[in-house]
Amino acid sequence: MRLNFRQLNLSIGIFLASLAGTGYSYENSPDLSQPSRNFYTQDTRAFLLAANESDDAKFKNTTKVVSPAADFKPPLFSAGKVHQYLGIGTVVLAGLTALSHPEEECEGASCPTNQPREVNGSHARLAKATVAMAAATIATGLYAHWDDFNLADGLADPDNLHVLLAVTGAALMAYAVNLSANSAVPVNHAAIAEAGALGMVVAIKLNW
Amino acid sequence: MKIKLLSIMALTIPLAFCSGYVAAESLLNAIFTPLRQKEIVPVDNKQYQDECGSCHFAYQPGLLPAKSWEKLLTPEALSNHFGVNAELEKDVLNLIHDYAIAKAADKSYHKRSRKIAQSTAQVEAPLRITEVYYIKRKHQKIPENMITQNIDVKSLSYCDACHTQAAQGVFEADTVNIPNYPDWDN
Repeated sequence: MRLNFRQLNLSIGIFLASLAGTGYSYENSPDLSQPSRNFYTQDTRAFLLAANESDDAKFKNTTKVVSPAADFKPPLFSAGKVHQYLGIGTVVLAGLTALSHPEEECEGASCPTNQPREVNGSHARLAKATVAMAAATIATGLYAHWDDFNLADGLADPDNLHVLLAVTGAALMAYAVNLSANSAVPVNHAAIAEAGALGMVVAIKLNW
Repeated sequence: MKIKLLSIMALTIPLAFCSGYVAAESLLNAIFTPLRQKEIVPVDNKQYQDECGSCHFAYQPGLLPAKSWEKLLTPEALSNHFGVNAELEKDVLNLIHDYAIAKAADKSYHKRSRKIAQSTAQVEAPLRITEVYYIKRKHQKIPENMITQNIDVKSLSYCDACHTQAAQGVFEADTVNIPNYPDWDN
């Protein structure tokens, strides 16, 4: 009987405890969802910080190996590329201009003054196009490579030589075209134009 | 004819200015080769590539003048190579040393090497490529956040992080792709 009383008390105690526990559990239901990302990040960070002594080491563990983007393709058209295409185009046009020179046309002081001149033929047009393209080359070069041109580097600097020769070459070609276009009689202008074209070729080669 | 001759002379004389900065590559070859010489001679020595490239980007010898390589490639200097022991066997070191000296910036006709040679001619031998005035000037407009604060770049010394054709010795602006900054030049 005495044992039964004890058993009864124990049973009542367990019942009340479980009842109290159930009530507590309703009030404070446990969060069984997955821990947030920050929980893991902080934990990992703590490990990394413990493992590393320097900032450099920290970078090594948290970043991928530094390497260039494999799929990167340089643009076909950029200010620098346009300058390059225009420069090559100028030299090609200069060559075509020289080739289109009319063989029968007389140049120099020995020519008769009343010789008819073709000022709008293919040679003249190509010459004007060459000068225009040379001007465009210079303009795009100044825009794209202004930083490379520095007088403090001296004349021996390849970029300074490039600018000097190209501008001189373009100026000589423009002068030759102007000389011939504004003359009533044929004038000797081929040598000046060819020297100008050569200047542009050397300028390109220096930066090729 | 006289004008033509004078013009050609006037245009070719400036080329003579370049001769002070060259030795190993021949001038005639530099003038007449159809190959591009705008950039830097790529590394073409397997031992150099393997030994230097095992720890960092195998910087082309044309990125520094010979006087810098002389200082860098000694047993003493390599025992503390920017804080790291990079000692090499004697014969390997000799081979790498000779290769670097032969292809150094001041012995090349390639444009960027010539510019590096010129910008280091009057100063003490730089030990880091990032100390070369020309290299500094070329990068001065790149904001800090694109380099040191960029987790995929970290430092200017990781050339190949942005210069996608650095291994081929090409460093022109069109080949640059700064990680995390696709429009870096705008």
